Amino acid sequence: MEVVILIIVFIILLALGVPIAFSIGLASISTLIVSMEPSIAFATMAQRMATGLDSFALLAIPFFILAGQLMNRGGIANRLINFARTLVGVFPGGLIYVNIVACVLFGAISGSAAAAASAIGGFMIPKMEKEGYPKPFSAAINITASTTGLVIPPSNVLIIYSLASGGASITALFVAGYIPGILMAIGLIGVSYVYALKNGLPREKASTVKEMVHALGEAIPSLLLLIIVMGGIIGGIFTATEASAIAVVYTMLLAMVFYKEVRLNQFFEIMFEAVKTTSIVLILVSTSIAMSWVMSFENIPQDLSSFLLSVSDNKIVILLIMNLILLFVGIFMDITPAVLIFTPIFLPIATNLGVDPVHFGIIMVMNLCIGLCTPPVGSLLFVGVSVAKIKIEDVLKPLVPLFLVLLIVLMMVTYIPELSLFLPGLLD
Amino acid sequence: MMGILLVDVCWQVFSRYVLQNPSSFTDELARFLLIWLTLFGAAFLVGQKEHLAIEILSNKLNPKIQAILMNSSVLVFAFSVMVVGGLILVSTILELEQRSPNLQIPMGYVYLAIPLSGTLISYFSVMNIIHSIKGELE
Repeated sequence: MEVVILIIVFIILLALGVPIAFSIGLASISTLIVSMEPSIAFATMAQRMATGLDSFALLAIPFFILAGQLMNRGGIANRLINFARTLVGVFPGGLIYVNIVACVLFGAISGSAAAAASAIGGFMIPKMEKEGYPKPFSAAINITASTTGLVIPPSNVLIIYSLASGGASITALFVAGYIPGILMAIGLIGVSYVYALKNGLPREKASTVKEMVHALGEAIPSLLLLIIVMGGIIGGIFTATEASAIAVVYTMLLAMVFYKEVRLNQFFEIMFEAVKTTSIVLILVSTSIAMSWVMSFENIPQDLSSFLLSVSDNKIVILLIMNLILLFVGIFMDITPAVLIFTPIFLPIATNLGVDPVHFGIIMVMNLCIGLCTPPVGSLLFVGVSVAKIKIEDVLKPLVPLFLVLLIVLMMVTYIPELSLFLPGLLD
Repeated sequence: MMGILLVDVCWQVFSRYVLQNPSSFTDELARFLLIWLTLFGAAFLVGQKEHLAIEILSNKLNPKIQAILMNSSVLVFAFSVMVVGGLILVSTILELEQRSPNLQIPMGYVYLAIPLSGTLISYFSVMNIIHSIKGELE
């Protein structure tokens, strides 16, 4: 009964175009009011919203957002691109791999897929067009390659998953993301290689060792951030939140003092943008945490769990069903709300079946990453086609093989837990 | 003002790390600032109409009716949960005289962000509704 109220109210509100955060809040309060006196229900919801925000771990999110936006404007992208070009430009279709490698590096440093798509794509796609690469394929590569930034640490989505899961270690999740993220990049490179050979795409002239060293020297201050942040977290020197604050200070120095690409008045503008993005994400966190409390108060995850288990108690089948549901959800919903809504529902089922919460987090994020590239609601798709200045319809055809390879990697990561759990296992 | 908050939070965490002085009051202050920042940012975004929503279905509705229904839903939530519920919460906690462990700030003042933000959101959504209705008359 309560499930029905929750779902119906939620879907109606979403269909009306009510912001997701408020749809979640209203659906939860309508459910709670059935079994509680209104005034108590209102106060309980308000309290859950406040306590949901009262977390030191959450602070990492605004800082990583700010650091990502600083990097976006701070001249870091083109230095990474130059470095990537000396490494992989010489192969057939070289600029495609340059785009992929630069997206991976930028995503790994900034933790933001949208920043990677716009910073790398804005520079690479026009360049690729000049060299005779078909624009739709360049855009498709840029869009899909930037998703790796959400899987490879540091990643805000993984921090959000950690909160929604009620205790999966952020460090373990971060470390777990490396292999799946790199596998995604390798898959994309494989498809590109076939494409490049078939279409006879040009290659860059080989770089001399001197050029390589020069490009590496230019890129090192940016790459160093990766080592400081992740090294500090893995080595237990500081928490993810402290690492994120250090990332902000470091990128500020890099962008404003060292590369001199951001001026002080621009910095305030960037900070204002970061505050807006933070509010969008965190108000969602706030109402979602209230909703997950309402759901467990009404025993909703248990009900859904026993329903799913009545369909099948086979681990492989249940994981497949959950993957399909998440893929479907990802088509319509952005990654942050989807993680917040579905983690409290799916995670108990998955852990019942013996799936590790860290492993499940990686499955979930990879899955929803694919949804970020699909119409009608793919935020990366929108960024990618707007920097490439093409229509969404044009990019769909070259996206298909790239989706297929990402799905194959997703299946591998789903059914081979060691791909995610091997590296965190080394930490213990 | 929100920018200053962010610098402040950033500086708190940074200074704590550099000064090797793990005082937990910065942790507490940072968390409280984050609550205020998020809730006021959210109110501001209602005014700017920049919240994350799914627009595929609602695009097919009459835009004025959609805007009115959407803003009314936001208003109902902001008023009932955030203003009424928030005020009940704040007054209960103030009566209990619950204080934060390190800063000794009454927790009621921290949670005051909810009814205040709720009031702003209600105001913005009423303004948005009036705007939509006026637009229809013209």
